[in-house]
This record gives sequence, structure tokens and C-alpha cells, in this order.
Amino acid sequence: MKRLTEITEEQTAMQSVLGLTNVFEGLASMRIAQVKDQVLSSQRFFNELWAIYSQIRVNKQFSYGRNDSDKIIDKDLFIAITAEGGFSGDIDQKLINWMIQSYDPNKNDLIIIGHHGALQLTQLGIGFKRYFKLPFHDSNINVAPLIDQVKQYRSTIVYYQTYVTLMVQDIKRIELHRAIEDASQHADRDNQIISEETYIFEPSAQAVANHMESTMLQITLTQTILDSKLAQYASRFRSMRSASEKADETNQSLKLEFNRTKRYVADERLKEVINGLRKAGQAI
Amino acid sequence: MADRNNQPGKDTKPAAKSLQLKVSSPFTVYFNEPALSISGVNGTGPFDVLPGHHNFITLLDACELNIRTSDAERKIRINGGLMHVKADSVAVFLDV
Repeated sequence: MKRLTEITEEQTAMQSVLGLTNVFEGLASMRIAQVKDQVLSSQRFFNELWAIYSQIRVNKQFSYGRNDSDKIIDKDLFIAITAEGGFSGDIDQKLINWMIQSYDPNKNDLIIIGHHGALQLTQLGIGFKRYFKLPFHDSNINVAPLIDQVKQYRSTIVYYQTYVTLMVQDIKRIELHRAIEDASQHADRDNQIISEETYIFEPSAQAVANHMESTMLQITLTQTILDSKLAQYASRFRSMRSASEKADETNQSLKLEFNRTKRYVADERLKEVINGLRKAGQAI
Repeated sequence: MADRNNQPGKDTKPAAKSLQLKVSSPFTVYFNEPALSISGVNGTGPFDVLPGHHNFITLLDACELNIRTSDAERKIRINGGLMHVKADSVAVFLDV
């Protein structure tokens, strides 16, 4: 049986774990709320921009902000968004496994975001074209270097983690032009046409449309990164919640054990006193 | 900047005394209220937008936007962006 001092030490340690997990749980919950706000805010911005863009580029395909003279690599670009470090469970592994099922080095190039995914690809002996760190901050994410890569390819497919609920996270793949089309469904439609007859353009309608396409690409990619981060925060929240519950259970068990041991020690002392008294009585 | 008032597409209604101005980035709204004017810099140089301005879309260079309201002047430093002017409503979309 453990000694009372040992149990007290364990209880103190468990209280610290409980406190820490509660703090992490609170932090994860706060970051989730912040990321949700960021996604809503960037979606509003996207909608307003799309409303203008759709009046300029009537009946024209989204061209990723490319100029007609830009050369295009005849491959599909895969972008995988994974966690930067641990605490992400097995979801990154699922994501990488899913992606490599479709991966063909002759038809695809890979860009990996997040150290965890890069590590897994290296372990599998699969090379990737570029690696980017997953941004630490949830706002003002600079995706310009990624956009420069995207513009060079025929099409881009993004693999990322997605937030379903606080307790459920999933993995998803989406073609970037499809993601932009989906996002634009929420924008207001205006049937007016913006042309050089009704507007002054500076420097030109084409340059303005290209700039808008780049901006919308940036927003869409940023949103997929934010969605991944949201899923990671939710996953961390879930881990912390379960660690916190486990610590609480252990703490309750330790409390019971402490009381049982305390009673046992008291009983033993009482027995010793009674035995002592008996022996003293026999001696008299 | 050149006078745009005689060009096609100009709104025929009388000029309002103020602009409804919104300056935002994907994650932040920096300004969203009536203003008397806004000044910025594009590929051709510095320019001003006043109430009654012609429909106008321009890319913005890195500069300091100068917003004048009825009681104050506000400056916002930007890295670039896009400005849309239509019927005394001005939207500035800042680059990320």
C-alpha cells in the first residue's frame, strides 16, 4: 500500500496536469472562435470582390490571374496542408495516405505545408517540390509564394483537414477552381456589366481582373489553411478534454485511496494501542 | 488628376456631398463611414476621389490613403489594393 505522503504528491502532480489541460483546452477553444471569425470576415470580403469581378469577366473562365502569354506546366499540382508539430493524432497520416493513392510523379507535383506531413512524405521516400511552414498566426497569412506556384500549373488540388464539429474532424480534397466557384455561390449577383464604356480602368480591365483573381485565389487558399487550423485546434481541444477527464478521474481515485489509507493508518494505530493496553493489562 | 466629369458613364444625378467609403482587407475593416474625399496613388500618380466621381476601378500602389471626413483626416498606410468607385460609393480592397 502507498504511503500517505506519496499519494499527496501524486495528487498535487495530477492537479497540475488538470490545471494545464484546462488552460490548453481554453486556449484551443479561444483560437477556434477567432479562426471562425476570420473565415467569416474573409468570406464577406470575397463576396464583395466577386460581385464586382463577375460584372467584369462576363462569360469568361477564371484564369488564376494568369496573363495569356504565361507558360503552363502540363501537370496537376497537389498541395497538402498538415500540422506543424505533434498533438495532431493520426489525421495527417490519413491525409498523406489518401493523397499518395492518386499521386503519380509524371502527372503531379507536390507542395507540402506543415512539418508533420513533410516528415511523413520523407519517411515514405516521396519527394516534394516545395515545403512551407504552416503559418503560426491566424490572420494576415501570406500565401503569395504559394499563388506563384499555383499559377504555373494546369490545375491545383488541395488536400486538407476540415472541421465538422468540435468532436469530429475529417479530411477533404478540392480542386482550387471548384473551391472558388463554391465560394462565389454566396456572393450577391448583379446583372450589370462593367466595361470600359461605363468605367475608367487603371491600368486596364485585364490587369484589374487578373489582380482580382489573384486576390480571390489568395483568400480561397487562406480559407483552406484556416479550415485545417480549425480542425487541428478542434483535435487538440478534444485531446485536452479527454486528458482533462482522465486526470480528473485519476484525481478522484487518488482521493479515495488517500482516505482509505488514512483510515487504515488510523485503524492500525488504534489496534497497536489496544494491543499495547492488553499486553499492559496481562502484565499487571 | 484629369477631370472625368465629361466622360461617358457618369451618373446624371446631382453630386452627393459625401462618399460612402469602406476600406477593408480580408480580415479587417479599417474604415466604413461617410467621407468627403479619399486620396491615393495608382500607376499614373496621386489622385483624389470626390463626390460625383465617374465610375472608376483602379489598382492601388503602396501608399498612404488620405481620408477626409467632416471633422477629421485619417491616414491609412497600405501595401497595395484595388479601389472601386460607383455612384458615390467607394470600396477599397486591400492586398493581404
